[in-house]
Amino acid sequence: MSQSQIIIAAATLLGAGGMWLLLPRGTSRGRAAGLVLAAASAGLLASQMSWVAPLSGNVVFAVIASVTVGAAVATVTFQSPIYCAVWFGLTLLGTAGLFLLQGAQFLAVATVVVYAGAILVTFLFVLMLAQPEGRTYYDRLSWEAPVAAVTGAVMVGILTMTVVAATSGDRLHAAAPVAPAQRLKSGGVLCDQHVAEIGRQLFGSHLIAVEVAGTLLLVALVGAAAMVAQAKSPPGSPPAPQSEQTCGPAENLDRQDTSGDG
Amino acid sequence: MPDPEIAILTDYLLIGVLLFGIGLVGFLSRRNMIVMFLSAEMMLQGVSLSMVAWGRYYNDFGGQMLVIFMIAVAACEAAIGLGLVLMLFQRRGSLDIALWQELREANVPAYVEQAAPEEPPPKPPDWPKLHPAGVAPQIPRDQIDHRSHV
Repeated sequence: MSQSQIIIAAATLLGAGGMWLLLPRGTSRGRAAGLVLAAASAGLLASQMSWVAPLSGNVVFAVIASVTVGAAVATVTFQSPIYCAVWFGLTLLGTAGLFLLQGAQFLAVATVVVYAGAILVTFLFVLMLAQPEGRTYYDRLSWEAPVAAVTGAVMVGILTMTVVAATSGDRLHAAAPVAPAQRLKSGGVLCDQHVAEIGRQLFGSHLIAVEVAGTLLLVALVGAAAMVAQAKSPPGSPPAPQSEQTCGPAENLDRQDTSGDG
Repeated sequence: MPDPEIAILTDYLLIGVLLFGIGLVGFLSRRNMIVMFLSAEMMLQGVSLSMVAWGRYYNDFGGQMLVIFMIAVAACEAAIGLGLVLMLFQRRGSLDIALWQELREANVPAYVEQAAPEEPPPKPPDWPKLHPAGVAPQIPRDQIDHRSHV
């Protein structure tokens, strides 16, 4: 067992313990200790990254990455779902920053506009519609928090080991003889005509996929509107014609109401 | 450090792994349907970060194309999923996923609700402190000493 494997194993164990302490358990005791454990785990994992050893000029990546991961942990562990959504917005901003550092300018903008601007706001709408009173008792409890934390930590450990093993060997060198200057040339990933190249690729070789994605968006829009409209139809009125193929939500609504909350 | 590009690839893949794992923990353990949904979206973020990193490493736009379509599909998924969540909310009047546990497999024991923990008593409101502004009034000494009655 090499040294890095031991460090990764310790980091996953610490991360599991920290996440367990951070998840809602009904008391607020131990959350600070959980935060310390999770930070120690992140530090140990970060020591496996290649930039910690030389520490040369990757401070921007370090800051954005730690903000992203910290906001992700906060998303999962905060009790009030509104705060979860807001922290998820910070995660999205961090991800957009990482995209930008990778040279994916269009994706960074698309993430901010579509994810943070549209999807997250839709989440907040539903949250304020359904649970305007803030956190409830089921936000202060978790399903099987230790098991979930261990599962996630094992997943992270296995994937980290796989990534480190795959990128430290010679396989990548053999598979991708890409010279660094090739990325900067016209048509490369880092070329200065980035968005134009994205458009050329998108509407050139991926044109059919774009059409299919547009159709999918339309179908999803119609489907979501139809579902919510059916659910909103009053119980006495005849069900909408589509509801005969499905299970008749209007009658179901009646039955569920009389049988009480499970 | 043989190749800086491999170092970049490793770092971004590890961040993607962390986002995926944290999202997994959230999806498995949280009971609010909206928060579960948020965690699933976070797993998607981790995957798209890995896609972009691989695309950069291989000097190929395929990774970024895939992420564009992932964003489109995530928008569809959010619309449909939130519609479903709203319908479930209208049936049960709560976002608690434990109210739907009769959908579990036949051989799985039922989840017994723990005693809901005591909500800590609400703290007294933390009103802002107003600092006195302006000049202190000049009160003559005899007015301060004067008492209208004893």
